[in-house]
Amino acid sequence: MNRKRFVTLALILLFSIPSLAQTGTKKKRPLPYEYGRVVLNNNATKYEMAPVVFEHWIHRGKFTCRVCHVDVGFGMKAGNTGIRAADIERGYYCGACHNGRTLNDGKPIFAACSTRKLTYEDQKRCDRCHSVGKRVPSDFDFATFTAPLPKERYGNGVDWEKSEELGLIKPQTALAGFTPKNPLVVQKDFDLNAKVEGMPDIIFSHRKHTVWNGCELCHPEIFMGVKKGNSHYTMVDISEGRSCGACHVTVAFPLMDCQRCHAKPVQP
Amino acid sequence: MNRRLRAIVVVCLLTGFMGPGTVFCTSQNGAQSTSPPATQTPAREAWQREFDRICSRTQEAMSFSEEDLASLVQRCDALAPQIEKLDETRRKVYLGRLHMCRGLYAYVLESKRNPKK
Amino acid sequence: MLAAALLMTGMALAQIYLPPAPPPPAQYGRVVLDSHAVRSPGAVVFDHWLHRSKFTCRLCHVDIGFAMTANGTGITQESIRKGYHCGACHDGKRVVEGNVVFAACVSDQYVPACDRCHAAVKRGVRKYDYQSYTARYPKTNFGVDWMTAEEHGLIRPADELAGFVPAKPRMPVRGDFDIAAGVNWVRPVQFSHHKHAVWNGCELCHPEIFATARKSAVQYTMFSNIEGHHCGACHLKVAFPLNNCAMCHTRAPMWAQQ
Repeated sequence: MNRKRFVTLALILLFSIPSLAQTGTKKKRPLPYEYGRVVLNNNATKYEMAPVVFEHWIHRGKFTCRVCHVDVGFGMKAGNTGIRAADIERGYYCGACHNGRTLNDGKPIFAACSTRKLTYEDQKRCDRCHSVGKRVPSDFDFATFTAPLPKERYGNGVDWEKSEELGLIKPQTALAGFTPKNPLVVQKDFDLNAKVEGMPDIIFSHRKHTVWNGCELCHPEIFMGVKKGNSHYTMVDISEGRSCGACHVTVAFPLMDCQRCHAKPVQP
Repeated sequence: MNRRLRAIVVVCLLTGFMGPGTVFCTSQNGAQSTSPPATQTPAREAWQREFDRICSRTQEAMSFSEEDLASLVQRCDALAPQIEKLDETRRKVYLGRLHMCRGLYAYVLESKRNPKK
Repeated sequence: MLAAALLMTGMALAQIYLPPAPPPPAQYGRVVLDSHAVRSPGAVVFDHWLHRSKFTCRLCHVDIGFAMTANGTGITQESIRKGYHCGACHDGKRVVEGNVVFAACVSDQYVPACDRCHAAVKRGVRKYDYQSYTARYPKTNFGVDWMTAEEHGLIRPADELAGFVPAKPRMPVRGDFDIAAGVNWVRPVQFSHHKHAVWNGCELCHPEIFATARKSAVQYTMFSNIEGHHCGACHLKVAFPLNNCAMCHTRAPMWAQQ
C-alpha cells in the first residue's frame, strides 16, 4: 500500500513540475494606433453597454499626463477609478471636457453619458466611447494626427517627448476648474544614474518626466524610496508594471526601446 | 508740439500697449486650446478654496521647509473629513486628489528628515 | 494491466520531458495562421525559410511586431492594408532584392491571388520551392543551417526596413557566457550572445523572454524550453530544434570525459 502511494505521489510530482515554468514568451504587440488603448468595463456590461475604449494617443497630444491623472483624478490602471455615468454627467472625470460645452480648437467636445432614457441620437453618441466590437468613426485619424510628429520605434511610433520639445504639440498643463490656481513648474533636472551589470548605464531625467507628470503622479505611490538611488528596480519588476512599468509598459514608450533609458556606454 | 496734443498721444500709446497686455496677464494657465464652458464656473466653496490653497503648490514642494511641509500635511488631514461628507462623486474625486497631494508632501518631508547619504 | 499503465505513463512523460519530433525540413518553421474569420479565404500558411533568407528575426518580430506564436499577432486585412504586419512589405510598392513585393489583401472578394498566402490545402500556388531555393545552403538533419549560411555570406539578411521605423545605433552586445545546468552531470551550456544578436538584436529576447539582467536569477530549465518558454520560444519550431542537443550542449557529459 505504501509503495503504491509513493509511486502515485512521485508520478503526480513528475507531472506537475513543468507547470511551474515561469513566463518567458513574447507578449502580443499592439499596433501603433492601438498602443495605449485602455478598455474600461467596471459597469458597462452590467448596464448592457459595450465596454469603453479609451485611446491615449489623441489625449496625449493635447494634455499633459498630470492634468488627467492628478487634476482630474483618473487612476493609472483600468478600472481603478470607478467612473460612473453620473460622475461624468456632473462634470467630473471624462465630463471635465466631454460636456458638450468645453471647446477644443473652437469646436465643442461631444458630451458623454446620459442617465436619462436614451434616444436614438443618444445611442450614437454613446457608441463613440462604448465601442468594443463596433466600427465607430472618429473625429481624429491616427495617421493624419501623427504624420507631422517625429517618429520613434515601438509604442505609438511617435516620439511624444520630442514633439513637445519642438512645439509640434502643445499639451495643456492645466484645466480650468480642475487645476488649482498656480500652473505647472517644471522640476529642475537632477539626473539619476543607475548602474546595471553589463548594460549601458541608465540616464534618468527628472526634468523630462516632470514636464508631463508633475510630482504627485509618481511620488510616493509609484516611487516610494526617498533616498536617491536606494530603491532597486529590476527589469522583472518593471515588466510586471511596478515602478517605471506603471507607464512604460502600456502608454509611454515601451520597455523594448532599450536605448531610450540605457543610453550611456558602460564605463570600462 | 502742443502740450495737450502730446498728452493725448501719450495716453493713446499707453492704452494701446496696455490693452493687449491686460488681456494676456489675466490668463493664468498659459496657452489653452480648450476654453472653459460658456456658462460661468460655479463659485468655489470654502473647502474647495482650502484645497486649492494646499494643493496648488505641489510643484514647489522641494523648496518648502520641514515646518511648512508638516503644516501642509496637517491641513490635508484636517480637510479630509469635510470631503468625506460630500456626495459620492465629489468625495471620490477629491479624496483621490487629496490623497495624492498629501502623499507628496509627506514624501518630500520624509526625504528632508532623512537626508541623502 | 500494469504494462499498459506503465506504457501510458511513459508516453505522457515523453510529451513533457522530450522535445517533440520536428516536421520534415521543407515544413520546418511552418506557421499556420487561422483566425477563423467568417469571410477568410482559408488559413494562411507562412513558411519561415523564405523570409529567413532575406531578413533577420529582429526585423519582423521587433520592428514590425509579429508575435512569436501562431495567431498571437492579431493580423487582419485592415492592418495589412494600413501598412502594418505583412503590409509593411506586401504593399505592391516595396522592392526587396530587386523584386517588387506583391500586395496582400487587396481584394474584398476572393481572387486566385489570395491563394499565395491562404494556401492551407492548395498546392502549386507558391512562387518559390523549398528544395530548389535552399539547394546551395548548408543543411542539418532538421533543415537549413542558417547560422553557417550567414557566417559564410551565402545569405545577407537585411536588418532594416527603410521608412518603417527609425534606425537606432546598436547597443554593445554582451559577451558569451556559460549557462549552468540544474544537474551536475550535464556540463554548462555555452551560450553565444553574439550569434544570437546577429539575428535578434537585443529587444527580441529582452525583457519579455529573458527578463533578468543577472543570468542566474531565473532558472531556465528544459521543461520550460519544451513548453515554448525561454529558449523554446524559438528553438522548438523555427530556429534549430531542441532535438539537436549537441548544438548547445557542446561539452561532453561527465561520464564521457577522462
